[in-house]
Amino acid sequence: MANSNLPRRIIKETQRLLSEPAPGISASPSEDNMRYFNVMILGPTQSPYEGGVFKLELFLPEEYPMAAPKVPFAYASEPNHFYEEPNYLEGIDWDSVFIPNLSGCCGEIEVRFLTKIYHPNIDKLGRICLDILKDKWSPALQIRTVLLSIQALLSAPNPDDPLSENIAKHWKTNEAEAVETAKEWTRLYASGA
Amino acid sequence: MGNKVTDELLSTVRSIVGSEYSDMDIIRALHLAKNDATAAINIIFDTPNFKSKELPAIPKTPRVSRTVASNSSKRNGFENQNSNSNSIVREANATDCSVSDSGEGFVEEEDVSRESSLGDEWWFVGCSEVSGLSTSKGRRVKTGDEVVFTFPLKSSSSRSPSPGKVFGKGRQHAAGACSEIVRFSTIESGEIGRIPNEWARCLLPLVRDKKVKVEGCCKSSPDVLGIMDTILLSISVYLNSSMFRKHHQNSLKAASNAAEESVVHPLPNLFRLLGLIPSKKAEFTPSDLYTRKRPLNLEDSSGLRASLLHVNKSTNPSRNENEVENEESISDADLDNIVGVGNCSELEEMDPPGTLQCELRPYQKQALHWMIQLEKGQCLDEAATTLHPCWEAYRLADKRELVVYLNAFSGDATTEFPSTLQMARGGILADAMGLGKTIMTISLLLAHSERGGSSSSQYMSHPSSEDSEPSGMLDHCQDPPKKTTKISGFDKLMKQKNILINGGNLIVCPMTLLGQWKAEIETHAQPGILSLYVHYGQSRPKDARTLAQSDVVITTYGVLASEFLAENAEDNGGLYSVRWFRVILDEAHTIKSSKSQISMAATALVADRRWCLTGTPIQNNLEDIYSLLRFLKVEPWGTWAWWNKLVQKPFEEGDERGLKLVQSILKPIMLRRTKSSTDREGRPIIVLPPADIQVIYCELTEAEKDFYDALFRRSKVKFDQFVEQGRVLHNYASILELLLRLRQCCDHPFLVMSRGDTQEFSDLNKLAKRFLKGSHNAQEGEAKDVPSRAYVQEVVEELRKGEKGECPICLEAFEDAVLTPCAHRLCRECLLASWRNPTSGLCPVCRKIISKQDLITAPTESRFQIDIEKNWVESSKVVALLHELENLRFSGSKSIVFSQWTAFLDLLQIPLSRNNISFVRLDGTLNLQQREKVLKQFSEDSNILVLLMSLKAGGVGINLTAASNAFVLDPWWNPAVEEQAVMRIHRIGQTKSVMIKRFIVKGTVEERMEAVQARKQRMISGALTDQEVRTARIEELKMLFT
Repeated sequence: MANSNLPRRIIKETQRLLSEPAPGISASPSEDNMRYFNVMILGPTQSPYEGGVFKLELFLPEEYPMAAPKVPFAYASEPNHFYEEPNYLEGIDWDSVFIPNLSGCCGEIEVRFLTKIYHPNIDKLGRICLDILKDKWSPALQIRTVLLSIQALLSAPNPDDPLSENIAKHWKTNEAEAVETAKEWTRLYASGA
Repeated sequence: MGNKVTDELLSTVRSIVGSEYSDMDIIRALHLAKNDATAAINIIFDTPNFKSKELPAIPKTPRVSRTVASNSSKRNGFENQNSNSNSIVREANATDCSVSDSGEGFVEEEDVSRESSLGDEWWFVGCSEVSGLSTSKGRRVKTGDEVVFTFPLKSSSSRSPSPGKVFGKGRQHAAGACSEIVRFSTIESGEIGRIPNEWARCLLPLVRDKKVKVEGCCKSSPDVLGIMDTILLSISVYLNSSMFRKHHQNSLKAASNAAEESVVHPLPNLFRLLGLIPSKKAEFTPSDLYTRKRPLNLEDSSGLRASLLHVNKSTNPSRNENEVENEESISDADLDNIVGVGNCSELEEMDPPGTLQCELRPYQKQALHWMIQLEKGQCLDEAATTLHPCWEAYRLADKRELVVYLNAFSGDATTEFPSTLQMARGGILADAMGLGKTIMTISLLLAHSERGGSSSSQYMSHPSSEDSEPSGMLDHCQDPPKKTTKISGFDKLMKQKNILINGGNLIVCPMTLLGQWKAEIETHAQPGILSLYVHYGQSRPKDARTLAQSDVVITTYGVLASEFLAENAEDNGGLYSVRWFRVILDEAHTIKSSKSQISMAATALVADRRWCLTGTPIQNNLEDIYSLLRFLKVEPWGTWAWWNKLVQKPFEEGDERGLKLVQSILKPIMLRRTKSSTDREGRPIIVLPPADIQVIYCELTEAEKDFYDALFRRSKVKFDQFVEQGRVLHNYASILELLLRLRQCCDHPFLVMSRGDTQEFSDLNKLAKRFLKGSHNAQEGEAKDVPSRAYVQEVVEELRKGEKGECPICLEAFEDAVLTPCAHRLCRECLLASWRNPTSGLCPVCRKIISKQDLITAPTESRFQIDIEKNWVESSKVVALLHELENLRFSGSKSIVFSQWTAFLDLLQIPLSRNNISFVRLDGTLNLQQREKVLKQFSEDSNILVLLMSLKAGGVGINLTAASNAFVLDPWWNPAVEEQAVMRIHRIGQTKSVMIKRFIVKGTVEERMEAVQARKQRMISGALTDQEVRTARIEELKMLFT
C-alpha cells in the first residue's frame, strides 16, 4: 500500500485523532490503508439517534487535503459492503452510483454511513448530504471537523435540503412519527453491535 | 500565378463545363479559384461571359450602367476646369463609352467623366505614356479609343451590391482574384491588354484606397493586335485630396510606427513613373541611401562584427522581470566599436560665458562649441522657410496649381509646407561617464537660452498663410483651392501648437539625479542668472505658465510619462503645454526601448532643440539608438521602416553596411570622448589619479564549505534534471534562482536563509493599522466579511509576541507565513497550493475570496529565519572586508561597499557596528530626500567611513568622489555593471588615488562566474549564430555547475 508515502498532514491528523479523540467520535485508520478510516459516532444525546453507535467509513483521496479532481466515489448497492481497494469498482450497480458534481470537487474526504440510519440528509446507501463534503470543501478542514459536522447533522436534521426524499417528506409531514422511526432504526441497527 | 494546374483538375472541370470552354478558360478559372475545381466550375457558370475573348467575341451588348447624356455634361464641366492643362491628351479623342462589364468580376475603373462631379476632390497630377501589352489576338483598337482599366480587388472584399456604382468598389470576382494584373479594355473590343507591372504595382494600392484614379486612351497600336504587341496608352492620373488628410491625423499618441514595416511607398513611385520632376527636390532620398551604401561596402572592415549586439535578442527566454539578472549591457569597448569614438581633438573650443562659475577643461569647451554649432543649424526663420530635406515638392498639372509635398521616405503626402523646423537641432552628447556631461550642459544653458519658439512664433501662428510663405520658393499658396484642402483636423493641430506656451529649458533625468542637477546648476551658475524649478512630486502644479517662466525646469522620466498618459496632455498645463526652447534627456538611454511609454513620451515633447546625454547610447541592442534618433527627429531614421530596412536588418544579418550607416548617421550628431581620448597634442583629455584594481580571493571556512557543498549538490541535481530533459532554457528563471542561492551563499550562508520580502510590513503597528483601516472602510455593506477588530488585535498581538502557531493546512509551524485580508495566517505555499487559480482563490479558513496581491507577508523578527544578532558568525568574505576596512580606518579614507543584495547589507551592519565603524547606507528603499541626505552625510561627515550601497541603487550619475576605495563584494554577471558602479568614485573630481577591490570566493560559483564573464566578452565580440548562442548559453550554465 501507499502508506509509506503518506503526507505528514495525514500522519499528524491521525496521531491527534488517536491521542485526543473528540467526544463521541472515534476514528482509526485501517491497517492495510492508512487513508481508509473506520469511524464510530455516538448518536448525540437528545436526538433520535441517542444511544446508537453508528459506523462510518472514511477515505482520504490522493489529493487530500488539496484540490484536484478525482475518480468519483462509487458506492456498492449493498450498504454494508466494505469495499476493498483496489477492486472497489467491481460489482457496482452503476444505476445507484453517486457521481458528485466534479466542478465542486476538491479532493475532499469521502465518507458514508455503514450503519443503516433514518435521516433526511442521509440516503439508504449511507451517503451524507453535507456541503463541506462537496463544494464547500476547504483544505483547512480536517477529519475531525468533518466528523464533528456529521455529528451535528445527527442532532439537527435538515429536511429542507434532503438527500432522501421519502424520509424528508416523512419528516416534514409528520415529524413525531419520523423521529419515532429514526429511534426505531437506531434500536434495530445501531444498538451497539 | 504560382499554382500549377494539373491535367487531372483540368479534365475534372472540363467534364462538367463541357467542351464549350477552352483549356485556357478553365485554367484561368482554376487559377482564380486557387485550384479548387468546384469553385472554378462555379466561376465559369456564374460569370456570363467568362469565356475568353479569343473565342466568340465579347457580347456586343454592353451593360453600360449610365447614360451618355449625364455623363457628357459632367465631363464637360470637368474639361472646362482642365482646359488650360495642355497635358490632358485624352480629351481630344475620348469616346464616350466605357464597358461596365457587370459580368466580369473586376473593379471597373470608371471613366473619369463620371467622377468629374467630384472634381473638387480630384487633382489632376499629370499624364504619361504607358506601353501596354496586348493580351488579345485579332482585336482592334483605334488611336484615341478610350480604355478602361480593370483593377483586381483584394480577395477578401465582399461582393458589392451596386456594381460599378461606387468608384473603386466594383464587383469583385466570385472567386476573389488577387492578382496584381491591371487589364484594360475598350468598349469595342473588350479586354485588349495589360499595363506594365511597375505601373500596376504602384497604382493598385492607391486605386484600392481611393486615393488615385486613372483614365487613359490609346495613343497608338498595331491595327490588329497580336499577343504581346505594344499598345501605347496615354494615361492621366488624378489624386484624391483625402490623400493629404491622413498625414495630419497622426495624433500625439499614435506613435506606433513600429507596425509600419513597408518602405515601398506607391505614391513616390507613381510620381516618378509619371515623370514628375519635383519643383524642389529632396536633398535626401532613399535612392541616395542605396547608392551611398555601395562605396561603404568597399571600405575596410575594421573588425566590426554585426553580431556585436543582437546576440541576446532571440536567446533571452526570461525577458521580463528576470532580465536584470541576465541583462547584457555591452561593454565600453564594444560600444566604442559600434558608435565610433570620434576623433574630436580637432574640434574648436569655445569659452563659456562668465556666468559659469567654474573652469572648463579644454575638451569641455570643445563640447560647448560643438553643441552651440549643432543648435545653430540654420536660424529659425530660415529653417521655417527651407524645405525639409526628406520632402520634395511637386506641382501638379491640375490647373488649380496645387503643390504637393511628398516625403521620399515615408510616402506621406501633404499640402502643408514641411520645413526644416521639424528637423533635428541638437544631438547626442555621449561622453563616457565621469567627463562632466552635466557641467558641459550647464555651460550650454548659460551660453544660450531663450524661450521656445520665440524666433519662429510668427511662422508657427500663420503656418500656411501668405505672409509667412517663403518668397521666391513656390507660388502656389495664393490659390483659393489651397484653402479647400485645408482640413479641419489639421487646423486643430495647428491651433494646438499655437496655444503652447513658449518655455525655456527642460531637463528630464532619473529621479536619483534630480537633486544633483539642481545642486550643480546652483553651484555652477552665477546666482540669479538661471531661474530653476523642479517639477516633481504629487503636488506639482499643473500650470504651464509656472513651467514656462523658469529658465530651467527639471523633471523626471516618471513625471514625463505620467503627464504624457494623462488626458489632454496639451491642454492641462503640464509639460506638454509648453513649447520648450530646449529639451535635455539626461541618461537618455532610459528611453532606449522605442515602444515604451517613456520613449514615446519623450518623443512627443515639443521643443526647438533636443539633446540626449548618455554615456551608453547603446546598452543592449542597436535598436536603442533608434529611439534616440526618433526623439531627436533625425529624419528619416525616426521612421522605423527605414531604420529597420537600412540599418537594423543589415546589421542583424551581418551586413556591415548597417553598422557603417549608423556610424555615418551618428557622426555629425554625436560627440563621444572617453577617458582615454587624447587632445590635439596627444595628451589624455583627462588625467585621473591612478586606480588600483585588485581581486581578493577568499577561502571558505570548513563549516561554510560544508554548507556550500550541500547547497551546490542539491542545486546541481536539479540543474542536471533540466539538462537531461533538454529544458535548460525553459527553466532559465529556476536556474538563475539556484545560482542566486549559491552566489548568496558565497557572501554569507545566512543569506540563503533570508526572505526577500519582509521589508514593507515589518512594522506591526503598521500592519494592525492596515487591518483596522480595512475593517473600517468596509463598515457599510459587507461588514461581516471583515474580521472583527478584536480578532485582528488578537492576531497582531499573537504576532507581536512571536507566538508560533501552526498552519491550518499543513498543521506545521508556519513557514513563510502570509496573512490574508481576513487576518488568517497560513504558509504561503500551502495557501497558494490550495488555489486552483494561481492569482486568487478562497481563504481556506473563512472562504472569503482573496487575491494574491492582498496577501501580506507576516512579519517576523527579521528577514532571517534565525536571530542573526545572537548567532552572528562572520563569513570569510566578511572577515576579509573587515580586515580591509580596519587597515583604512586610521587613514580616514572613505570606502563604498557594494553588494547586489540588500540582505547582505543588513548582515554587514552587524560587524560594522560591533567594530565601531560608522557607516551610512544607500539602497533602493530610500526616497529622494533620504538619498540626498545620505549622500551629503557621507561626503561631509568625516566620521562616516563606509557607505553600504546596493549595486543597483547606486545606479547612474551619482558622484561619490568623497570615497577613494570601493569594495565590490559579489561579482555581477556583466563586468560592465560593476565597472559602472566603481566609476562612481573614479571620475572627475577625484583627487586621491583610487583602490578598487573585488571579492571572489575560491572554488565556488563566483570563480566560475569570472570565467563566464570572460567568455561572454568573447561571445559578444565574436560572430555566433543564434543556434550557437543558444548552445553557448547552455554551455555557460553548465560551466557554472561544475
